[in-house]
Amino acid sequence: MINIIENRRIPFIISGIVFVASLIALVTLQLKPGIDFTGGSLLEVQFTGERPTIDQVEEVIASADLGNVVIQPAGDDGMILKMRFISEEEHQQLFTVLKETFEKVEAVELITEEGEDVVDGSTGLEVLTVEGDSEVVMLDIETELPDDALSARVLEKRFETIGSVISNELRERSWQAGIAVVLAIVFFVAYAFRRVSKPVSSWKYGITAIIALVHDVTITMGIFALLGYFYGIEIDVPFVVAMLTILGYSVNDTIVVFDRVREKLIKRGRDKFAETVNMGVNETLIRSINTSVTTLLVLTALFLFGGESIHYFSLALMIGIVLGTYSSIFLASPLLVVWERIANKR
Amino acid sequence: MAKETSQVRKQIRTRLLSVGFIALFGLAFIFPIPLNKVIDGVNGTVALGIPRLPEKPFQLGLDLQGGAHLMYQADVSSIPYDDRGEAVDGVRDVIEKRVNALGVSESNVQVAKVGEDFRLNIEMPGIDDVNQAITLIGETPILEFKEENNEPPRVLTDEERVQLDAFNVEAEGNAIKALSALTDGEAFEVVVNEYSQDPAGRSNGGDIGFVNKNTMYGEEVFTWAKNHNEGELSGVIDTPVGYHVLKRGGEQDGEAEVEARHILVCYLGAQSCQNPQYTKEEAQEKAKEIFETVNDANFAELAKEHSSDFSNKDNGGDLGSFSRGSMVPAFEDAVFNANVGEIVGPVETEFGYHIIYKTGEDVLKEYQLSDVFVRKMNEIDILGPQDPWKNTGLSGKQLDRAEIVTDGQTGSIQVSLKFDKEGTELFAGITERNVGKSVAIFLDGDVISAPTVQAVITGGEAVISGSFSLLEARELAQRLNTGALPVPIHLISQQSIGASLGAESLSKSLYAGIAGVLIVMLFMLLYYRLPGLLAVLSLSMYIIFTLAIFKLIHVTLTLAGIAGFILSIGMAVDANVLIFERLKEELREGKSLKAAVEEGFLRAWTSIRDGNISTLITCALLIWFGSSFVQGFAATLAIGILLSMFTAITITRFMLRYIVPWFGQYGNKLFLGYSSHEKEQ
Repeated sequence: MINIIENRRIPFIISGIVFVASLIALVTLQLKPGIDFTGGSLLEVQFTGERPTIDQVEEVIASADLGNVVIQPAGDDGMILKMRFISEEEHQQLFTVLKETFEKVEAVELITEEGEDVVDGSTGLEVLTVEGDSEVVMLDIETELPDDALSARVLEKRFETIGSVISNELRERSWQAGIAVVLAIVFFVAYAFRRVSKPVSSWKYGITAIIALVHDVTITMGIFALLGYFYGIEIDVPFVVAMLTILGYSVNDTIVVFDRVREKLIKRGRDKFAETVNMGVNETLIRSINTSVTTLLVLTALFLFGGESIHYFSLALMIGIVLGTYSSIFLASPLLVVWERIANKR
Repeated sequence: MAKETSQVRKQIRTRLLSVGFIALFGLAFIFPIPLNKVIDGVNGTVALGIPRLPEKPFQLGLDLQGGAHLMYQADVSSIPYDDRGEAVDGVRDVIEKRVNALGVSESNVQVAKVGEDFRLNIEMPGIDDVNQAITLIGETPILEFKEENNEPPRVLTDEERVQLDAFNVEAEGNAIKALSALTDGEAFEVVVNEYSQDPAGRSNGGDIGFVNKNTMYGEEVFTWAKNHNEGELSGVIDTPVGYHVLKRGGEQDGEAEVEARHILVCYLGAQSCQNPQYTKEEAQEKAKEIFETVNDANFAELAKEHSSDFSNKDNGGDLGSFSRGSMVPAFEDAVFNANVGEIVGPVETEFGYHIIYKTGEDVLKEYQLSDVFVRKMNEIDILGPQDPWKNTGLSGKQLDRAEIVTDGQTGSIQVSLKFDKEGTELFAGITERNVGKSVAIFLDGDVISAPTVQAVITGGEAVISGSFSLLEARELAQRLNTGALPVPIHLISQQSIGASLGAESLSKSLYAGIAGVLIVMLFMLLYYRLPGLLAVLSLSMYIIFTLAIFKLIHVTLTLAGIAGFILSIGMAVDANVLIFERLKEELREGKSLKAAVEEGFLRAWTSIRDGNISTLITCALLIWFGSSFVQGFAATLAIGILLSMFTAITITRFMLRYIVPWFGQYGNKLFLGYSSHEKEQ
C-alpha cells in the first residue's frame, strides 16, 4: 500500500508550482483564440504538384487587400491560410490568384499528328484538362517534355468564414456552458454525498472535487497557452468541448475514489480518518489507472490517425484525462484529510 | 435445490441467447447488403418471402461527405415585429426553390431564431460550386407585375428588310425553278427532293395527304385544290409562310361540319361563369323556361337577353361552323344528332345549360395534294417570338403587403393586395388598360398568379379571387410578401468542405476507431484474462448496439460524433474495470467466486452510476450549447455512455454468472490471475 496521505506534501508542492506556472502562462501569454472566437476566414488548399513555399504564397496574395494573413503548411501537400472575415467575392479572387499562379495545366499543348512517329505507348502522357477529364496525348519522340507539363493543380479542400456575430455568440456560449457545467457538477456532487456528513460534511466533498477539477482544467489551458505561444496552436470550439468533457471526466474519477472512501468510512467508523482515506485511495488506484489507460489508448489512436481537425482536440482530452486521474488520487483525497484536520483543530 | 439451480441457469442461458440474437440482428441492420444477398438467394429457391432489410447507409455529416453549410442573417429591422417570422419563412421558400434548382440533393434550408435574430441555415451536401449557390441565394427575390403584351412588334430596320427581301426573292426563284423542272417533265419526287422544305411532304415524295378547308397549309392551297381537277399542276402559289407548287390528286368526302347558335345559362360554380346569377337548379329552371319560349324569330333577342356566353350573345349566339373535336362532348353530341333547323335543349355541360339552334350542316370535301414547298422568311424569324408579357414598372417595391381575406358574401378565400402611393397610380393605369385581360405576377421570373382584371381599381387595394384553398392562398400571400417586404440577407458564416477532404476524414476516423478498439480489447484480455474476454465480448455488443441505434434514430455522423463515439468506447470499458477490480478484491477477502461476482457488481454499481452521471450532465449542457460540432460530439458520447452502462453491467453479469459454475468454488488463475483459494494455502 502506498502511503499517499502521509506523503501528500510532494504532490501538493508539484501541483502548486505547476498550477501557478499555468496561471502565469495564461495571464501573460494568454490562449490564442482561433477564428471560432475572433471571427475570420480559413482556406485550406492542396497542391497536387510541388508545394510552393510560404514566401511565394505571401508574395502572390500581397496585392489582394486581405490584411494580415497567416500561412501554415498542412499535411504533406496542403497549406492553410487564415485571415480576416472575407466576402465571397474576395474568397473567389484569392482562390483564383492562387490557381492562376501555381496551376500549370493550360500550358500543355503537345498534340502531334496522331499515329505518326509514335514509337510506342510509353511516350503517352496523361494530361488533366481544366474540367478534370483526363486524356492521353501521344508525344512525338522528338518532342521535348516541357517542364510545366506536369499537371500541378490547386484544389480547395476547405473554406470557412465566421462572422463577428457568430464568433461573439460562440465566445459567450462557451463561458455560459463552462459556468453551467461547473455549477451543475457542484450540485450533483453535494447531492451524491448528501448522506455523508461526519467527519467531513458533504459540501466539502463537492468543493474538493471542484478544486481538483479547476486544477486539471487550468493546467491543461496553461499548456495550450504555451503551445499557442510557441507553436501558434489556436483554441477553437472543439477545445472548449474538450475542456468541458474534462470537467465531467475529472469529477467522474474523483467520485469513484470518494465513493470508496465513503464506503470505508461506513464500515470502519470515523476514527483514523487519514488511514481510512488512504486505504480507499489505494483500493481504487488500479481501477483509476486502468480506466484512464483504456481511455488514453483510444485517444492516442484518435490523436495519431484521426486527422488534422481533431488532432488538438484529442491532445487536450489526453492531457486532461492524465491530470484528472492524477488529481483524484494525489490531490482530492489528501485534501479531504486536510479539511478534517482543520475542522478538528477548532 | 439442484433443480432450482438448473432452472436459474436455463434462465440465464435464455437471456444470453436473446442478447446474442439481438446483437446479430443489430449487425445485420448495420451491414444489410451481404445479408440481403443471402435473403434474396433463399427467396429465390424457396418461396418464403423473407423481407429484405433496409439498405439505408449511415447519415454522414457535411464534414465527412463534403458539402457546404451557409448561415445567413436576415435583416428584419424594417419589418413590423409580428410579421417577421412570416417574412423570413417566405425568404426561406424562395431560397429553397433556388437551391433545389441547383440540383443539390437532400439540401436543407431552415430558419433559426436566435434571440431576436432570424437566421437561415442552408446545408448543401456534395455541392460542387458553392460560389454559384451563394450568388444565387444572395439575390433578393424580384416580384413584378406584367400586363399582356399587345404592342405591335418593332419595325424591321432597312438592313433587315433588304436581307428578308433577298431571301424571299431567292425562295421564289427556287419555287419557279421547281415549277419549270416539273413542266419539263421531271418526276415529282426528284423535284421534291431537290427543292422542298416541308419535312412531311419530303418523306412521302411530296404527298401531303388530303386537305380540307381547315388545312394548316392555308386558304390559298385549298382554294387552288378546290378549283382544279385531278392531275393538274399549279403555278407558284404565294402564301404567307412560303411558296407552293402543287399537283392535284383525287377527292373524297371528309368529315361533317355544322353551324349552330346557342344560349348559355351558367350558374355559381360552373366553369368560366363570369356573372353567376343562379344556383344550378335555378339555372336549369331558367334554361327550360327559355327553351319553351324560344323559336327561330326570337332566338337572337333571347340570346342577347339571357346568354352568359359573352363572346357571342350579341350576335345571336352564333358559334360559326365547326367539326367534331372542337366542342365538349355533350354539346357536340346534341348538335350532331339534331336536324338542321331544330332547336334542342337544355343540354348540360360543365359550362352550364345550353339551348342550341342548329342552323346548318355540310360535308367537307377533301383533296389529295402533292406539294413542293419553299420556305419564306418572315418578320418574326428576325424579331423572334414576342414575349406574351410586358413590364409595367410595378414591382414588389410598391406593394405594401398581401393578406388572406375572405369574401364577405361567398366566404371564398381571397388574397388582398395593398399598394403604396406610387403603386396605386401604376396599378390604376394597369387595370384601366387591361379590363377583361390578365395581369401576371412574376416572382423570380416565374408566374405565380395571373388574375383577370374585372374592373378599374383606383384605390390601391385589390383582391385576387379564385378557387384557392387556405394553403394555396397562404402560399401566394407569403410569396407576394417576400417580394414586397425587403428582407436583405447577409452571409455570416460559411463552411465548405471538399469531397476529398470529407472522404479522407471519414477513412482516418474509421481507422482511428478500429485501432483504438483493438488496442483496448488487447489490453483487457492481457490484464484481466477470462473476465477480460467477457469484457471484450460485451464491448463488441456495445459497439454493435451503438451503431445500430445511430442508424435507427438517424444520428448524423460527423467527425466530432465519431470522436465522441471512440471516446465512449474507452469509457465503456471503465464499468468493466470497476467491476473486475471489485471482484478481485472480494476474492482476495476470501469470498467464494459466486458470492464475489454478485458482491462485485452490487458494490461497483453506485460508482458507475455516479461517475457516469457527471459526464452525462456535461453532455446535456453541451447539447444545449448548440454548435453542430458540439452537438454531434455530445450526442454520440451520451448515447454511448447510456448504452455502455447497460452492456457492461447487464451483459457482462449474465456471462459471468453463466461461466462461474465451470470453475471451482474459489476460482483459479484464469480469473484475474488471482484465486481466493490460493491465499488460504
